[in-house]
Amino acid sequence: MLDFAPTEEQEEIRKLAQSIALDHLRPHARKAEAEHDSPNELRLTLAQTGLTTPFPEEYGGSGPLEAVTYTLIAEELAYGDPGLALNIVGSLMGPLTVWLAGSREQQERYLPTFGDSTSGYLQRGSLAFAERTGGYTLADIHLQARRTSDGYLLNGTKRDVVHGQRADLRVVLARLSEHESESPEGKLCAFVLSGAQEGLSIQAEEEKLGLQAAPSATYLFNQAQLPAEALLGEAGSSGVVRAATLYQILRAAIACGTARAAFEYCSAYARERIAFGRPIVSYQGIAFIIAEMAMKLDAARLLTWRAACSWDRGEADETLIHEAESAQRQAVKMAQAATTDAIQVMGGAGFMQDHPAEMWMRDAAAME
Amino acid sequence: MIDFTLSKAQQAARDYAHQVALEEMRPLSLECDRTEEIPESFFWNMQRRYWGGAAAQARAYGQDEGVKQENLLSVISQEEMAWGDAALATAIPGPGLAAPPILSQGTPEQQARFLSIYMDGQLHWGALALTEPGIGSDVAGMSTTAVLDGDEWVINGHKHYITNGARADLIVTFATIDKRLGREGIRPFVVPKGTPGLIVGRIEKKMGLRASQTAELIFENCRIPKENLLAGRGEKKEGFKAAMGTLDATRPMVGALAVGIARAAYEAACEWLREELPAGYPPHKRRAWEEELKELGQEIEMARFLVWRAAWMADRRIPNSKEASMSKAYAGALVMKATATAVRITAPGEESERKLLIQKWFRDAKVFDIFEGTAQIQRLVIARRLFPNIDIP
Ligand SMILES: Cc1cc2nc3c(=O)[nH]c(=O)nc-3n(C[C@H](O)[C@H](O)[C@H](O)COP(=O)(O)OP(=O)(O)OC[C@H]3O[C@@H](n4cnc5c(N)ncnc54)[C@H](O)[C@@H]3O)c2cc1C
Repeated sequence: MLDFAPTEEQEEIRKLAQSIALDHLRPHARKAEAEHDSPNELRLTLAQTGLTTPFPEEYGGSGPLEAVTYTLIAEELAYGDPGLALNIVGSLMGPLTVWLAGSREQQERYLPTFGDSTSGYLQRGSLAFAERTGGYTLADIHLQARRTSDGYLLNGTKRDVVHGQRADLRVVLARLSEHESESPEGKLCAFVLSGAQEGLSIQAEEEKLGLQAAPSATYLFNQAQLPAEALLGEAGSSGVVRAATLYQILRAAIACGTARAAFEYCSAYARERIAFGRPIVSYQGIAFIIAEMAMKLDAARLLTWRAACSWDRGEADETLIHEAESAQRQAVKMAQAATTDAIQVMGGAGFMQDHPAEMWMRDAAAME
Repeated sequence: MIDFTLSKAQQAARDYAHQVALEEMRPLSLECDRTEEIPESFFWNMQRRYWGGAAAQARAYGQDEGVKQENLLSVISQEEMAWGDAALATAIPGPGLAAPPILSQGTPEQQARFLSIYMDGQLHWGALALTEPGIGSDVAGMSTTAVLDGDEWVINGHKHYITNGARADLIVTFATIDKRLGREGIRPFVVPKGTPGLIVGRIEKKMGLRASQTAELIFENCRIPKENLLAGRGEKKEGFKAAMGTLDATRPMVGALAVGIARAAYEAACEWLREELPAGYPPHKRRAWEEELKELGQEIEMARFLVWRAAWMADRRIPNSKEASMSKAYAGALVMKATATAVRITAPGEESERKLLIQKWFRDAKVFDIFEGTAQIQRLVIARRLFPNIDIP
């Protein structure tokens, strides 16, 4: 039955995430941008709330993840700061992909270190999704894996891998062709890379337009030979699709949070700023821009929630892919427009680094 | 709990309305648009299928599911109706736009007296007359007057662009009882068809929604009983503001109609690419169109969700004027984009019925950014709700 209200429990979690976003993310945003990372204290704070360990208790987690709940959390974190939100979510996607796509044995091997109550917060995961030849859709994943006698041979690229350089757990999405004759597309699958991988070159991405608080790297695979146990679960399983679409949904939520930050910030400014004797928001030229922003944000958020609901209900893979990719496309596009318009509303001040609007505009642009 | 799945009643309402749209509306669509006439048989079929069928079914299910959901059920069916034909959808017998002010501003006695005439199984319509040649968006400046003379109100003035104005049995007419009071002086009156002094003027020729009747109404010393003033109920007789508030409730419905047309155009353009693509059409162009249509499909889903959310809030009595305006503004702009895109994509190739329908929908679409509050007025409503302490003129 159609319903648009979060549960009371979700509302409480959302509020918790919001208070962390305002107390711990927003104030550290510029510093994190300069240092290209999140401070350890922030990671500890988040770990203590359980927000960053949404996997089963048996592995030290705070209970299995619900996509709707985590969509609310991700929006709040991005409302604090988009770069830090991506830093946190990007790390989380490593263990989450193991949980969603891996065998029981693989879960037992990789998850407990992330759930460890004293040192888990220092762990970084990562999920390599986008490639040099495309964007964040599953159809753009071409990293090629071929079965060999004792494992898999990987060739291709990855870009924008959050924590790619320092990660303790590196997961990559790829396409597996079982036989030479098979279609080049191959089955979607995920591999875990070990620390020093021959045939893999990892390059830190230093000069980024935005989202600098989420350190990222490019992977270049050239005949990289992986052992058989590197494959998470089975190729072509729903688990991999669920991990990939979850990332897309959370990226959509981050885009919504970014847009909301820009919307609220420029609204407050427009209320106070006086021109020709009146608050600028009393002019329709400004008021209508902001009204439009609010409307389109709500539209994209509803699309994102719908995808998250389907994820929680365990809808078929094709449905999940369609809905998650729609949400991501629309939310990112919306966030780019909202952050750009926020600067317009603020005039010259919006262009200055004294205000966060210019950073959010760069962050939204860097989500492509 | 956030949920985007339709309940049994919601799905049933959608399926039923879709079937009605497919069987009763689509087959008549082009002909009614051409002649600007609707055959009597359509009205009777709708009377039978819609009031006897869908409405009763919805009531039964709605009660089963134990929640108030008349707004949701209504927007769900409206989308399907407009997918069939939006002009015909506005002509379905019933109190129509007259119902909300009667329900919210009428005493129980008035509600019984006015709405009972729609229950006799015959064909009846209702209308709402707000707009005048001199005013549209700025309703407070209206010049139609109502003066109490003994036991009767005497109405004088001029209304135009009134949907179903010439066939309505009851016309809820807004008039001022004292121009010096501005908007506070405006009241809704129920004027029955055939009242001496109520003159039906011209029927407009329009770009689109041609089968929908848009009439001019002239009031010359038109006398109605004192009891036909809708004066508000109970302690709080809020008059104008409350009466206008009922229009908020209808905005998601208009949004739903816009979504229905947008979807029809989107589906037709997709089908055209699949079935009517002329030989030799460049593949790269086809791919570009497919990309554009994909985005359009996503925007249609967002528009629908905004409409559903606004209706859901109305059912729960959560104040929703901002969200209602969002749904109407978003869908109103989208339907124009969707129909224009469909016209553009299907321009090459041979003439076909599909293309004629697309062109009709394109002509129908523009009005959704105009009536029930223009695009600008919706944005004003949203902005005023976002900034309650600031005067945005
Ligand atoms: C097919 C059709 C059916 C209709 N059915 C009905 C009906 O059943 N009953 C009824 O009462 N009316 C009906 N209308 C009238 C409709 O509601 C009005 O046309 C509408 O409200 C706009 O009023 P207007 O045409 O006088 O335009 P105006 O109010 O003159 O507006 C002209 C332009 O000025 C802009 N504008 C006005 N005020 C502002 C402002 N404050 N800030 C920024 N811009 C502003 C408007 O957005 C618009 O772009 C119908 C209209 C049509 C086309």
